Amino acid sequence: MRIGIMSFAHIHAESYVQNLRQAPDVDLIGFSDTDAERGQHFAEVFNLRWFPTHQALLAERPEGVVICSENSRRRELVEMAAAAGSHILCEKPIEVTLRDAQAMRDICAANHVRFMTAFPTRFAPSLLSVKAMLARNELGRLYAANGINHSEIPREHRAWFAQKALAGGGAVMDHTVHLVDILRWLLGCEVSEVYAEVDNLFYPGEVDVDTAGIVLLTFENGVFASIDCSWSRPTSYPRWGHFKMDLLGENGFVTVDALAQHLTLYSKRATRHPQWINWGPDSNQGMINEFVASIREQREPLITWRDGYEALRVALACYDSAHSGQPVRLEHG
Amino acid sequence: MKIGIVGAGSMGHAHAPAWIELKSQGAELVGILANHMDSTVNTLAEQHGAQVYSTYEELLAAVDIIDLCVPTDLHHAMVVQAAEAGKQIVCEKPIALTVAEGRAMIKACHAAGVRLFIAMVVRFVPQYAIAQQTVAAGQIGTPAVIRLTRAAYQPRKATDNWFVDEQRSGGMILDLMIHDFDYARWIGGNVVRVFAKSVRASRPDAPDDYALVTLRFANNAIAHIEGGWAYPAGIFRTSFDIAGTEGVLEWTSDTAETVQSFLVNAPLQAAAEVGLPTALSAESPFTTELRHFYEALIHDKPFSVTAEDALAALQIASAARESLQTGRSVTIDQEAL
Repeated sequence: MRIGIMSFAHIHAESYVQNLRQAPDVDLIGFSDTDAERGQHFAEVFNLRWFPTHQALLAERPEGVVICSENSRRRELVEMAAAAGSHILCEKPIEVTLRDAQAMRDICAANHVRFMTAFPTRFAPSLLSVKAMLARNELGRLYAANGINHSEIPREHRAWFAQKALAGGGAVMDHTVHLVDILRWLLGCEVSEVYAEVDNLFYPGEVDVDTAGIVLLTFENGVFASIDCSWSRPTSYPRWGHFKMDLLGENGFVTVDALAQHLTLYSKRATRHPQWINWGPDSNQGMINEFVASIREQREPLITWRDGYEALRVALACYDSAHSGQPVRLEHG
Repeated sequence: MKIGIVGAGSMGHAHAPAWIELKSQGAELVGILANHMDSTVNTLAEQHGAQVYSTYEELLAAVDIIDLCVPTDLHHAMVVQAAEAGKQIVCEKPIALTVAEGRAMIKACHAAGVRLFIAMVVRFVPQYAIAQQTVAAGQIGTPAVIRLTRAAYQPRKATDNWFVDEQRSGGMILDLMIHDFDYARWIGGNVVRVFAKSVRASRPDAPDDYALVTLRFANNAIAHIEGGWAYPAGIFRTSFDIAGTEGVLEWTSDTAETVQSFLVNAPLQAAAEVGLPTALSAESPFTTELRHFYEALIHDKPFSVTAEDALAALQIASAARESLQTGRSVTIDQEAL
């Protein structure tokens, strides 16, 4: 199966190259990037064919594309890919406004291509085991969740992550959507209320986006859940950050540290002191395999446009709440 | 290829599902043989769609690969018999009770033109494999002081608890510490000197169940290996701390699991017969290990851990036991291999 990557603006593209090369029966045909310097650099790093325009990549008729552009340039690429008949795996957050996200859904439907949102954490064995615990009702009635997805500021890797025009926001845009998606998936219902404290506490005057955020959500079933999405780790922290969650129910609680499986390296040659090296399973591989399987089996992927849309909706509601200083209700038809 | 497992203990139970995982690559688990005291063999065979065999000869005749998950004292005779029958062989660690037996097994397989894979599973445990890659990539410079721990509880098989019989298992040092002797060699290269201390900690009637061993490597590096069957049932701790000229690499199983649950009225979990480290991961290390064996076999590629490596680890373990007897350090004779 022929798969291409559209844009290397998002750092995850670098991991997806490896994942696509390891996925069964995938022919990774190359990547497109309109930034020639970046294109030439990664073509060399990965020994991968670079297409200087997206249309040139799409002219090769890939059956699927992985879209790794800046947040605010996803709609444009989705429209090109859909028109070319390629199924889409799209980085998160899927866009920066609900109107853009809805337009993406419409163009995919019109061209009969499927849209998957890149939420790799759904493939983490730790979270799958929590999902199974809940299915067996081991925790009984669920009460609350305490989620952490805090990290370093990602601008060291790509500057646009901390630029309002391209990212649509900062820490809230970047790091609420993963836990929102996991909680929606675990609880099986939607977010009904959003409250958020949001600010630029860590890099005032340096960036024009938010860098600190604590979000408190209420779900339709009454469960409330917090998410710390702050860019609060220094760039010297042993790893980019954390993915953690405690879930409290009437029979006890479960605590998840999805990235607990790491070694600690203290090296004069490393950039972090110490540095954590993951030895746990690579959730990205499960996600890429699912994307490929959904194309091969001509079915909806496990994670759809709707999942990306609902998560974006919550992230945007955080900004509304922060602006008003009050909780925001979300209606679900 | 057709596979037969001998033994339905903890390793037979670990290998059977791993073979099933390799079905798509053509591996077919057809038979299981176990002695009459292993009542679980029928269930194990049934769960994995295999036949129960009553003699070793019949099982050998039915398979291409024999997977020996039997007590260590049986390794030598069963490997030699399988080699003479022309079968490819997986054999659990340690390779044998003595270096002489191990050497004879390698020779017999060589003479028969069959391949012998000793299941040194720690090399396929992800954190250990990635640590080795990190060291090999030069991230910590040259390894200098290597500290390894593998501390569990005494195996408690309800019947035929051969682990605690030194004549059959070689005791904790051969059965358990062999993993870290092998891992230390993988990181630090050949070992030239061994010194050991041990104690009977958990039960006065048990063989030595806790030991500290020092290793000196040909390149002057030093290792400290801790091994034990002395903990309360159910506890299994492993860790490594590899210090090199440019850095340090650490990991300990004392760090949290990815998922921990704390439930009101949760049933107490009985400790397994034999302690095995647990970690939630995409694939069991036993599957990774047997996949490596199977792919290397069908594509005629070298094993990443050879029978000679397993023999060298046994030589270190034997030297540790000798040091306990003599109270002196023991020099390793590379030529003896």
